[in-house]
Amino acid sequence: MSLPDRIDPRPPRRIYRWDLDKTYLQTDFDSLKDLLRTAFQKAHEKVAIPGASALIRELSENGDSRLCIVSGSPKQMRAVLEEKLKLDGVRWDEFVLKDNIGNLLRGRFRALRGQVGYKLPAILESRVKAPAEAEEVLFGDDAEADAFIYSLFADLIAGRVDERVLSQVLEAGGVYPDDAERVRAAWKQIPVADPVRRIFIHLDKLTPPAHFTAYGPRVVPIFNYFQAALVLLADGHLSAPQVLKIAVEMVQTAGHNIITLSNSFQDLLRRGLPLQQAAVALSQALEGPNKLLAAMRPMPDILSAFSKRLAALGTPPPPPPVQAVDYVSLIHHALPRNHKGRTKPSP
Amino acid sequence: MGAMVVKQPQPVTIAFDVMGTDHGPAEVVRGAAQLSLDSPHIHALLVGDRTLIDNALAETKHNGERISVQHAADFVGMDEKPGEALARKPNASVAVAARLVAEGEAQALVSAGNTGAGVLACARHFQLIPGVRRAALATVYPTRSVRGAKEDPFSLILDVGATVEATADDLVTFAVMGSQYARIISRNERPKVALLSNGVEPQKGPPRVVEAHARLSEMKDINFIGNVEGIDIPKGTADVIVTDGFTGNVCLKMLEGVHETVVELAQYAYKESLRWRAGLAMLSSGIQRIKDITDWNQYGGAPILGFDRIFIKAHGRSKARAIANAGKVAAKVVANNLGSSIREGLQK
Repeated sequence: MSLPDRIDPRPPRRIYRWDLDKTYLQTDFDSLKDLLRTAFQKAHEKVAIPGASALIRELSENGDSRLCIVSGSPKQMRAVLEEKLKLDGVRWDEFVLKDNIGNLLRGRFRALRGQVGYKLPAILESRVKAPAEAEEVLFGDDAEADAFIYSLFADLIAGRVDERVLSQVLEAGGVYPDDAERVRAAWKQIPVADPVRRIFIHLDKLTPPAHFTAYGPRVVPIFNYFQAALVLLADGHLSAPQVLKIAVEMVQTAGHNIITLSNSFQDLLRRGLPLQQAAVALSQALEGPNKLLAAMRPMPDILSAFSKRLAALGTPPPPPPVQAVDYVSLIHHALPRNHKGRTKPSP
Repeated sequence: MGAMVVKQPQPVTIAFDVMGTDHGPAEVVRGAAQLSLDSPHIHALLVGDRTLIDNALAETKHNGERISVQHAADFVGMDEKPGEALARKPNASVAVAARLVAEGEAQALVSAGNTGAGVLACARHFQLIPGVRRAALATVYPTRSVRGAKEDPFSLILDVGATVEATADDLVTFAVMGSQYARIISRNERPKVALLSNGVEPQKGPPRVVEAHARLSEMKDINFIGNVEGIDIPKGTADVIVTDGFTGNVCLKMLEGVHETVVELAQYAYKESLRWRAGLAMLSSGIQRIKDITDWNQYGGAPILGFDRIFIKAHGRSKARAIANAGKVAAKVVANNLGSSIREGLQK
């Protein structure tokens, strides 16, 4: 019997989808000046959000995952963005950028700013190629519509959103007919499953966490990537030493300290995330002989800070209730930030 | 020439008693949330009903890395008798917050709740600075003149209620403490210190005031300008006005009463006559300017002086801005090591 001439990689057990700007990269494009500066930045001038690259590296360490990036940055920035990712030691499997020039030339001005018509078909088409059993964790930010689009994606493939609601959303979101057709076509090819475990929303604009309550407990707004790492430890995607590595990077490169990390931990507890076991695992890892953890010492202080934050709350709050997401009433979340419909108050 | 090194402020944690204020816990939470956005080096430890705090925080823009919560089941209401209330409620938010400060979990306490309960909680958990026999409750009052590098329009008056019967020793101590505090907060290197009396002459006033006058006159590190009368308080003749708690409290309440009456008269005038209304409208920009200058919200709060830990008492009617500013005042006092300055001032 002869050996095959190539060995296919193992099908991924987990897929991590990332946005780039304001999720992975510290990006300012709130003014034209910021936009221009961002466009002309070199790779080494771009700065990753503290802990993001460490988190991606640790997630990929487990070996059976796929990193899929869908960014609203224009295709012309591919070279510089890829170089930046390589500088950070990040390896990706898919990297989709927006065809802004194409949209401009075709007079598709809504598509320049719209997110639903761009990201939703892109991630659905990516999912078509994934094994049905592959779990997903998605990372976005609060600058645009990530919580809405990622949740809709999750509920579409889980069969919790029907054709009627999807049509209403696509119409209200100003999605062009061909993009809407791409959404429907990809959706029909995906076997019904419920693979999306978490949606992390990096609070770049420090949007109040209650803004995301309507999306249910699957969406976790985070102030930093130590919080994401803690939740992923509780969810079984990371080990305690891996979480500590991420914390060490944040301490060494971004000025985090025992107070900010323990406050971040307590913030999640207060939102009802069940992290008690994760805290125990972290304590055990801190007591281990890992030399890297020298940066985190003195250990008694760290353990004491976490224990105190836990004890300060008395009885842990109950986890937030799981609820159906009303996408039609939340459509204003999906409109571009300066769209007049975006200001619609929540009911 | 080497590059200029910008010194980062040291992180400081301020405990906020969230409960028992006139505007409710949400206002204190909003103030602390604002602080978390404005001042990266200040961490807020919010003490009070966890559910109320979390509900308010969830709706408010804040930085979760700079805020933590300590649950306290009880609180002392504004109309409760401090001693009885604290005896009945050992886990009242202000008592828990004071204990946490005493244990080093935070470096200062800010409360807009019941003043007496705040003072009592501090007395139970904090230590008096060596050389201080009694603590003094200070307050600030807007004046005609400004002082220090910050052009601060507020003068400091102490004591306004903590020590009803002060001795000459106490008055001298209050003068040292008030002077050190004003030096730090108003960035006023030589604040003018005066004793409140019924005449400017050194021999005017009760024996304790006369004795304090004589002793302060000999203290070179205090910029003592002698006695002032009540009329000098709003004029801003002195930057720090020293008196006993009984007189200070009567004086403070009278000043507040005059202020409220003036506002009521202006409202009456506004309603009563079109001509008066037009006159007020013409003066509105000036009135607004005066309001801005004398807005106590910008000051935040005033300290209880004499303890080894910092307690900033914010006004019971404090809104978020005043609470945030009280936090900044507390952080500034901690950063400038007020306790050590007072200790050194008393040794001289």
